[in-house]
Amino acid sequence: MKMEEMSLSGLDNSKLEAIAQEIYADLVEDSCLGFCFEVHRAVKCGYFFLDDTDPDSMKDFEIVDQPGLDIFGQVFNQWKSKECVCPNCSRSIAASRFAPHLEKCLGMGRNSSRIANRRIANSNNMNKSESDQEDNDDINDNDWSYGSEKKAKKRKSDKLWYLPFQNPNSPRRSKSLKHKNGFSVCTSASNTLPLLFSSSGELSNSDPFKYSHSTGISYETLGPEELRSLLTTQCGVISEHTKKMCTRSLRCPQHTDEQRRTVRIYFLGPSAVLPEVDSALDDGGFDMADSQALLSRLQWDGSSDLSPSDSGSSKTSENQGWGLGTNSSESRKTKKKKSHLSLVGATSALGSSKKKKPKPPAPPTPSIYDDIN
Amino acid sequence: MVVSKMNKDAQMRAAINQKLIETGERERLKELLRAKLIECGWKDQLKAHCKEVIKEKGLEHVTVDDLVAEITPKGRALVPDSVKKELLQRIRTFLAQHASL
Repeated sequence: MKMEEMSLSGLDNSKLEAIAQEIYADLVEDSCLGFCFEVHRAVKCGYFFLDDTDPDSMKDFEIVDQPGLDIFGQVFNQWKSKECVCPNCSRSIAASRFAPHLEKCLGMGRNSSRIANRRIANSNNMNKSESDQEDNDDINDNDWSYGSEKKAKKRKSDKLWYLPFQNPNSPRRSKSLKHKNGFSVCTSASNTLPLLFSSSGELSNSDPFKYSHSTGISYETLGPEELRSLLTTQCGVISEHTKKMCTRSLRCPQHTDEQRRTVRIYFLGPSAVLPEVDSALDDGGFDMADSQALLSRLQWDGSSDLSPSDSGSSKTSENQGWGLGTNSSESRKTKKKKSHLSLVGATSALGSSKKKKPKPPAPPTPSIYDDIN
Repeated sequence: MVVSKMNKDAQMRAAINQKLIETGERERLKELLRAKLIECGWKDQLKAHCKEVIKEKGLEHVTVDDLVAEITPKGRALVPDSVKKELLQRIRTFLAQHASL
C-alpha cells in the first residue's frame, strides 16, 4: 500500500489527466446505464408513455407570454373595477370597500348598532306604532326599584336647581343634556317642573340603551291633540336619557304613578291626572289649603274634555280631586326642601303662592290648557 | 519491462478506484453528476431520444442491451461542457490530494 502511494506521487501530469478522464467517462457511463435501466423498467411496466399527450391538446395548454396577461392568457387585474350593490341602501360600492360599508349600513358592531337602532327608532316614531303599548318585558329589570326613589329625588332636585333658565326649544338644550350624568333633563322638557321626570326608574338605570330608543316618542313633535290622546292611553313619562315619552300602558312598571301625573300636569294642566291614584297618598305633607284651592280649580275645569275619564279607563272624576291633592302636596314638599324653587310648575306655584313670590311668575297652566278652556 | 509497467499502471488504477470508493468520493461525484444532468435538461433530451428508439423497435422488443447501445453514445455526447469541466476539476483535486500523500 505504501509503495503504491509512493508510485502514485511519482506520476506526471499527463498520466493523472488520463486517469481523471477515465474516471469521468466511468461516471458518465454509470449515469447512462442508470438511465437506461430506468427507461427499460418504465417501458416494461407500461408507464413510460403515460405523460405523453397529442400535440393538438398541448397547444391548448401553451404558456402565454404577453404583457398584461398571466400565463393562462387571462387579464389578471380585472377584479379591481368590480363593484357591489349594497342590499340595504342599494348603492354601488367598490368591492374592496364593501365589507366596511356593510358593517356600518347594517349596524354591526358597537357604535354602528347604536346608530342603526336610533335610525330604526326614528322611523318607528314616524309611524307611531302602538303595538308595544302593552309590552311589559322590562318588568323584571333590576333597574327599577322603589327604594331608590326618595334618594334619587333628593339628588335630582339638588342638582337641577342651578341649571340656567332656557327656552325648551333653544338649540343649547341638546348641549346641556350631556352634563351632570342625566339629571339635566329638566332643561330639555321644562324649566318649570322638575318633577316632570321620572325619579325612580330612570335615575338608577345604568343602561340607557336598554329600552328607551324603541319605545319612546319625542314629545316635541306632537301637537296638543296628539299629546292628549297619547297621554290618556299611554304612560307618557319622559325618559331623561332619550327625551322620549314612554309608550307603554298606563300601568307600565317602569315609571311610577307620580311620574305619570307630573307629566300630565305639565302638558295638560293640573286638571289632567291619572285615572287611578293610590300610591302617593301616604305623603305626610298634605296641605288642606292647597287641596281646597285645587278642588275649586277642578270644579272650574269640570267641563274640560281632556280629563282622563274619557280614555276608557276605569277610574273617573271622583279620583281627580285626590289626584290633584296629592299632586300638589308632592310638589309642595319639593318646594319646601328648596326655598328658591322658583320655576316649579303649575301646581307647585299654586301651592306655594302664599309662602313666597316666585321669581318669574310661572303661569299656573301651560298654553295647551288655555286652549282647551 | 513493458509488462511490469503495464502491470504497475493497472495496479495504480485499481488503487485509485479503491481510494475513490473507500472515501465515498465516487458516490459524491455520481450524485453531483446526476443532479447536474437533470438540471441542464440532459435527462429530458435523452428521454425524447429514447422514445424515438422504442417506437422504432416496438414496445415489446425493447431490451436493456439495445437501449444501452443506443443511448450511451448519445448520452456521452450530450453532457454539457460546464458539467464536464466541473466534474474533471473535482476528480483532479481528489487525485492531487491523494497523490501527495
